Amino acid sequence: MKIKYIILFVLPILWSCSNNEEVYVDLPLELNKPSNFPSVAYNIGQNPPTEKGFELGKKIFYDGRLSSDGTISCGFCHIQQNAFTHHGHTVSHGINNASGTRNSPSIQNMAFQTQFMWDGAADNLDFQAVIPLLSAIEMNGNLGAIMAMMKADPIYVKLYGQAFPNKQINTENMFKALSQFMVMNISANSRFDKYRRNEAGGTLSSDELQGYAIFNSKCASCHATDLFTDNSFRNNGLAVNPLVNDVGRYRLTELSQDYYKFKVPSLRNVEVTAPYMHDGRFGTLDAVLNHYSNGVVNSATLDPSLNQNGTLGIPLSSIEKSKLIPFLKTLTDNQYLTDTRFSE
Amino acid sequence: MKNIIIKSIAVLAIAIALVSCSKNDDEVTGTGSLKVEFENGFAENALILESPTVATSQNEVLKISSVKYIVSNIVLTKEDGTTFTYPKSESYFIVDEENPSSLLLNLSNIPAANYKSIKFGIGVDQAQYALGQTGISDFWIAAQNAGMTWSWASGFKFLAFEGTFKSPTVTTDTSFMIHTGKTGTDYNYTEISLDLPTNALVRTNITPQIHLSTDLSQIIDGTNKINLTSRNSMGMGAMIMGGADLPLITSNLSNMFSVEHVHNDPN
Repeated sequence: MKIKYIILFVLPILWSCSNNEEVYVDLPLELNKPSNFPSVAYNIGQNPPTEKGFELGKKIFYDGRLSSDGTISCGFCHIQQNAFTHHGHTVSHGINNASGTRNSPSIQNMAFQTQFMWDGAADNLDFQAVIPLLSAIEMNGNLGAIMAMMKADPIYVKLYGQAFPNKQINTENMFKALSQFMVMNISANSRFDKYRRNEAGGTLSSDELQGYAIFNSKCASCHATDLFTDNSFRNNGLAVNPLVNDVGRYRLTELSQDYYKFKVPSLRNVEVTAPYMHDGRFGTLDAVLNHYSNGVVNSATLDPSLNQNGTLGIPLSSIEKSKLIPFLKTLTDNQYLTDTRFSE
Repeated sequence: MKNIIIKSIAVLAIAIALVSCSKNDDEVTGTGSLKVEFENGFAENALILESPTVATSQNEVLKISSVKYIVSNIVLTKEDGTTFTYPKSESYFIVDEENPSSLLLNLSNIPAANYKSIKFGIGVDQAQYALGQTGISDFWIAAQNAGMTWSWASGFKFLAFEGTFKSPTVTTDTSFMIHTGKTGTDYNYTEISLDLPTNALVRTNITPQIHLSTDLSQIIDGTNKINLTSRNSMGMGAMIMGGADLPLITSNLSNMFSVEHVHNDPN
């Protein structure tokens, strides 16, 4: 009680002195919706991104000390040059070299999406990071220990103080900072985007344009909008791996119609996000297209679009495939993949 | 600085209010505290962990090893029908049978008044999910320490009820786990409203204690019957953590709580 009074008397004196020093004023970061994107889905009013909130989020994203053995950061499985996926890993390995069952999804354009994780385990971005952070086979983080670590780190103390009006180092602000980092993580400057916005550098070759037309007639019903996902869950006819038997969205709903359904992933930067599918089973884009043309397996929950008029999959000739792939590569956004704002 | 000014004004205002009203004996002013105690039981008996319960209507006998639930969104209704909502962000509690101090909620800064009913939520409500992290503060830490977070889905377990059971056809102790929370189909948050048998008289010098009893048998043996034996079809235990059972269990919770009595002893 006494200490409280002392603080009450001393604090005003400190404040009156601080006028002489330079006081840092955090600057808001503007979330600019690219004109070819759907509208922002994230509740930006509850957590408006700022310069220091973003910087704090980035530091947290790349800090291995969040994990129980101090080695696994978010960035460990989400590598920028691969559009924040885990290149070369079918499924990622976490703490104690434990293996998960799914391929790291990319982190890009999260502010415009409504469903996260392969099965939609999070439908609010603010709750997404909790899952890998606490998962025993991913980061296995202990939130009490993480808060203690941050409170003892002068850089964190300073950044939290600058990023949040209440200056508190708490779990709320930690997850908000991570959301700010992810919300600002936008890939919208591929050659395709420039083509869509009629900007300089937005020229597509005739093969690429033909590929885009094929894409629109055969792929865009699921890979919809310029985000290339409709945020839905579908069974795309992958043979079930009996060793894992990943039931997909069923785990969340326990509805039989959701067996083996996974989120339609965005295809942005797909050139650099191999391996593909929820379990990383396909190493190349050719293999992906071959799956759709020849490999689709029928089952009770197979997406109807992949079983039309008694024909499984999507009819694709080799010529069509040879145009689709160049088109998909126009979605590569080198500016984003090398943007130092997002780099460790 | 702003806070200090606001607090000073608040303190001044309260002081003025106290002084100006203190001559009027009938007027109730100021703020006080309130305690809400949870006493877990099963059917007509007190809960003893790891000890066999009475048989349910499904002829199942449980040995409960753990029961925890999130209490939130506390609202008190005054005699005149007006309500006082406890600040939402300070209103998240985990009641955990194994942690005796958690069975008593200490609420402070409650306007002095005669309260006739209490309402609280079990779980974290949908409005909070829409707000994202705002207002959650460090509740994540408490939830993780109590094992009330889900690592495979976002958010919190609202109720965790675990142990073993036997029935005429399941003759050895077989585990059961019931976890409710937000799933892909249902929200599974519910609110409980209870009238108090006597008003809780919150005063600057009286901290009432509302004594609640719970009947945990209602979780599986309430309006909706959740037969554990039939949910043990694989012989691996009855694991109920999603699907159509959760809304049924959530609806059962509305009959799980009752008010035993209210103490209005002076501090």
